[in-house]
Amino acid sequence: MSVATAEVLSAPEFRAAGTDLSERRRSGLSCGTVIDLTASPDTIGITWGADGAARIGALTAIAAIASDARLAQGYPGITAAAQGLATPQIRHMATLGGNLAQRSRCWYFRNPQIACLKKGGADCPARSGNHLYHVAFDLGPCVAPHPSTMAMALLAYDAKIVTDRRSGLSITDLLGDGSNGTADNLLAAGERIERIELPAPLAGERALYKRAISRTHAEWPLVEICVRAVISGGVFQQVHITAGGIAPVPLRLAASAAALEGQPADASTIAQAAALATSGAKPLTMTGYKLDLLTGLVRDLVERIAG
Amino acid sequence: MTTTTVNGRVESLPDDPDALLIDIVRDQLKLTGTKLVCGAGVCGACTVLVDGAPVASCLMPAQAAAGKAVTTVEGIGAAQLHPVQKAFMAHDALQCGFCTPGFIVEATAFCDQWRATRGTAVPSREEIGAALSGHLCRCGAYDGIFRAVADACAGRFDGDNVVAPRVEARDKVTGAAKYTVDINHDGQLEGLILRSREAHARITALDLAPARALAGVTAVSLIGDDRIVRYVGEPIAAVAAKDRKTALAALAAIRLSSERLPAVVGLDAGRKDGAPVVFDRANRKRAGNVSEAAGGPAPWKQNIRGPTAVFSTRAKKARSWVDEARQANNKLLVEATFRTATQQHACLEPHAAVARFDGDRLTLHASTQQVFHLKEQIAKRYKLDHDKVRVIADHVGGGFGSKASLGTETIAAIELAREAKAPVRVAYDRQEELSVAGYRPAAELKVALLPSEQGGLKALSVTAHADTGAATNSTIAGLARLIYPAEAKDLSDFDVISNLPPGAAFRGPGGPPMAFAVEQAIDEAALRLKVDPIALRKKWDPDPNRQRLYDWASSLELWRNRKPAQTGRYRRGIGVATGYWLYLWQPNVKVEVAVKGGRIVASTATQDIGTGTRSVLADTIAREFDLEPGDIDVRIGDSSLPEGPGSGGSRVTASVMPPTLQAVRKLKAAILEQATRKPAPGSNAPWRELIARSPDIAVAETRGEDGKNTAPGIRSPLREVGLMGMVFGWMMRRFSNIAVGAGVPSSVQVVEVEVDTWLGHVRVLNVHTGIAVGKIAAPVLARSQACGAVIQGLGYALYEARELDPISGDVLTAGMEDYRIPGIADTPEIDVHFDEAGFDHVFGNSVGIGEASTVPTSAAVANAIHDAIGVRLTEIPIRPDRIVAALKGRDAA
Repeated sequence: MSVATAEVLSAPEFRAAGTDLSERRRSGLSCGTVIDLTASPDTIGITWGADGAARIGALTAIAAIASDARLAQGYPGITAAAQGLATPQIRHMATLGGNLAQRSRCWYFRNPQIACLKKGGADCPARSGNHLYHVAFDLGPCVAPHPSTMAMALLAYDAKIVTDRRSGLSITDLLGDGSNGTADNLLAAGERIERIELPAPLAGERALYKRAISRTHAEWPLVEICVRAVISGGVFQQVHITAGGIAPVPLRLAASAAALEGQPADASTIAQAAALATSGAKPLTMTGYKLDLLTGLVRDLVERIAG
Repeated sequence: MTTTTVNGRVESLPDDPDALLIDIVRDQLKLTGTKLVCGAGVCGACTVLVDGAPVASCLMPAQAAAGKAVTTVEGIGAAQLHPVQKAFMAHDALQCGFCTPGFIVEATAFCDQWRATRGTAVPSREEIGAALSGHLCRCGAYDGIFRAVADACAGRFDGDNVVAPRVEARDKVTGAAKYTVDINHDGQLEGLILRSREAHARITALDLAPARALAGVTAVSLIGDDRIVRYVGEPIAAVAAKDRKTALAALAAIRLSSERLPAVVGLDAGRKDGAPVVFDRANRKRAGNVSEAAGGPAPWKQNIRGPTAVFSTRAKKARSWVDEARQANNKLLVEATFRTATQQHACLEPHAAVARFDGDRLTLHASTQQVFHLKEQIAKRYKLDHDKVRVIADHVGGGFGSKASLGTETIAAIELAREAKAPVRVAYDRQEELSVAGYRPAAELKVALLPSEQGGLKALSVTAHADTGAATNSTIAGLARLIYPAEAKDLSDFDVISNLPPGAAFRGPGGPPMAFAVEQAIDEAALRLKVDPIALRKKWDPDPNRQRLYDWASSLELWRNRKPAQTGRYRRGIGVATGYWLYLWQPNVKVEVAVKGGRIVASTATQDIGTGTRSVLADTIAREFDLEPGDIDVRIGDSSLPEGPGSGGSRVTASVMPPTLQAVRKLKAAILEQATRKPAPGSNAPWRELIARSPDIAVAETRGEDGKNTAPGIRSPLREVGLMGMVFGWMMRRFSNIAVGAGVPSSVQVVEVEVDTWLGHVRVLNVHTGIAVGKIAAPVLARSQACGAVIQGLGYALYEARELDPISGDVLTAGMEDYRIPGIADTPEIDVHFDEAGFDHVFGNSVGIGEASTVPTSAAVANAIHDAIGVRLTEIPIRPDRIVAALKGRDAA
């Protein structure tokens, strides 16, 4: 293993529940100091503003988010995303902040014997190798999709992230635009996420989340999307559609959303929006199928929201 | 120092930030019911409760449990079995038992919470499936788990009585059952293996001295005398140290230099002219074996070994008829190329061995499918007296064919223990288990099937190329000889050798890929001939066992009510397929049945890998004496017992039942003869009384030949194929100690699927599996195995594939989240039908179920998908990417 790689793997890391880090420690992908995060009232639990906006502490467990009744009322897309990720045992332990800051699940990155961009290597072995589960929007040198389902859902809600150093960060500020292949997020060394702030829900908004997988449960998404919209007088308004599993960062499907905004909630509008979901896509040799799944998911969820 | 409470006792926690909760539970507290399998929070085998919530202890830092209450499986049934444990026992919701403690912990938490809020309402399959979605079972015990959890929630197991059809069930649901990985001798060292990073290289220097210089470290070389490594992961050396951390440091200290050689990876590259040659002529004997028996001679050029075509008949005729039909544009000629994926055994208990020398006596605990034969292999390799070697396997956490040889884990454990003069455990980690521990080779099958003008089967041609890695001896096409007689058959098998780990035997080696291709071709022929696919099979396949299964299948309501082709997003379809396996048994198997201290004791050196061998013996003997299975002590899993069969080739039941019944007969006579007092007149349990008063008597019997009086049409399948078949049968017996009996164990399956054409998702709704393996010795357990065979077959059909880097050959799916085996929510409704006739010539009338029952599943699924969407999927696994590509008429990646 090269010197660059050893240096990257020896960086100190924060540990919340450790559901990602423990595996990387065991396999030798993380060899530096571990700094355990301890919860304070500010970093754990869900609190509510007078305007009905939620703030979620970074150390709040995914299961607590998934089972919170008030959150389900105002932010059903976030609830459904939290219910749909990983397994019950993981959701009991894993935290929201950890989910946002987790490392890539790329099978080259996870193999301690193989160098890659995220481990200080010179190139991305998945690009020229086996990238069956990788990106269909090729936005940067690394072709691993971003693993955070919660980031994808929070993007649909225009959530802001507060760290110990900065506030008001968007998901894009946190994760970048996919052009940096060496990292999974843009947090500075030693910077940690403290909480997530959500805007107040819109009156009458609906939201759905779904992932396409081969089995029934417990699988990283081939493609996942979150759709959020208000339908007023049979017309789509305030449409947000975000997608994961297809790009180095969660993506907004802006063309699909634009095609729905102000249009009647009927089949032809929906079909057109679904077809536009792949705007800007650049699939790899093995990932063209993800575009079919993306189109199918957009059609599925928008139909259900309209119905 | 911080503390935690484990099962009610206060325990100290180490300061090491890398210590995980599972380390405390298993290593510090020796609570070995909690199992380490995936190490990544995927499989749930390590689940414990922390303040009542189920968590993955393989990921939870030990320090995070400070001040909390931890409950392991041992803490759940300690005072009194939980209703969930009783329900698992009663519904036989387990097989090998390695995943069972994790399921029990999660299911008790779910059940307790359910009961607290919902009373005795019955949870739906969807609710149970979601709650247990963080658990994986490789044996496929999900059908019983659904029923167990539903019944426990419904309050049906609140009472004290529990009847367990599996004799060791209580040990498995309480975590008491000890597997090889759980063995922990005083002073035991942990062994690890240094493996090749190169796909092909010559080792120029191996210096173990820096490792040996570390305190308490032992190191041995494992490289062959040719000093060549032929795949990523080939063993080079092994080290042992007081713990894993020290052993890892020792591995890192080893100095290795090698000279890289050109490498070739996979089926397509391996076949190219001028590809680097993996085994030169002098080194061919180093190749592994992917079959259950030794292979015959075959041509071998560069990396292609074959054709093996001994099962062809009038092959030239078959080829010319197919050519003529092609030129004449004969619409009845079915031609297609099929591809099957590499399937990993993915046993939840990894390959593991613990070796201990007491002077010159070796005791080896091993996770093995063959305690007796392994003892003989070890004695031979290390030139030890047979009575100085003892192999023990009380419980084995899955095998499926991968644990039927003397493997690196055993060699390393023995050699390290001898060198270190201390017990050594070697247990593969998940990465090793899913890369170098064997697999069912991927294959490409070219099929041509030509019906005659009269509607018969004129010619069948199958050419199979198997992706065997550093191994040979694949038989896929050849298996198409023993089903669907034709006027001519051209069946050729090729091994394509490349710089990949060696394949191994896997449950019905060659059977599932053969069925996937041939059964789809049969289906296609039925469509073109416009006849019912079951009716066509009934016409073309005269085997009497399968004739009865075809009658059963065609009478199923599901089959009779098939719908015409559908449109819309969700489309349902129904498919059928047939499978078979040979009836194999092992000569020289001995079973001792004895009265000892007033109890019946049965002994033979076989093992239970989850198949239910203990129960087969206990149930059979109990029936003969009119006792309960719990009255019989079954001793297996120890090579010092009388010679028993290996758990492979579905041969255990057929090998142990006849001598057991023979011994029982003789023992009965001896008991009566020596009885000083006859049972009281009108006694309900005369044998119980006789046995209780009997002096100790032991009778050992050897497996004899089967009777000659077979039912009409039941013959040795090898005899039917003529001289080559008889030669093959003779070789199996001579070189592999396996006899091929008369009659063909068979399975016919009818499957219903629903395809989501938008998201490419296939949901299997219903499976009917009809199985003809003679009389069922232990019905509840046989049902479990039949369901598990279907579930494993569904994994093969829909989810499972080893993925590689195409250049280096690195296995990328070396973790359980990337190597995808079926979960509980993927389990369909399964109806099991046993047809118990056909094996009257076997003493006891029973043969094995393990392999025949899994052969047809992938083909039945593919035929059902074709019925649903009108497109034939010729490559498995049938993942979403392949469904959406097929619907668009383009190739998937």
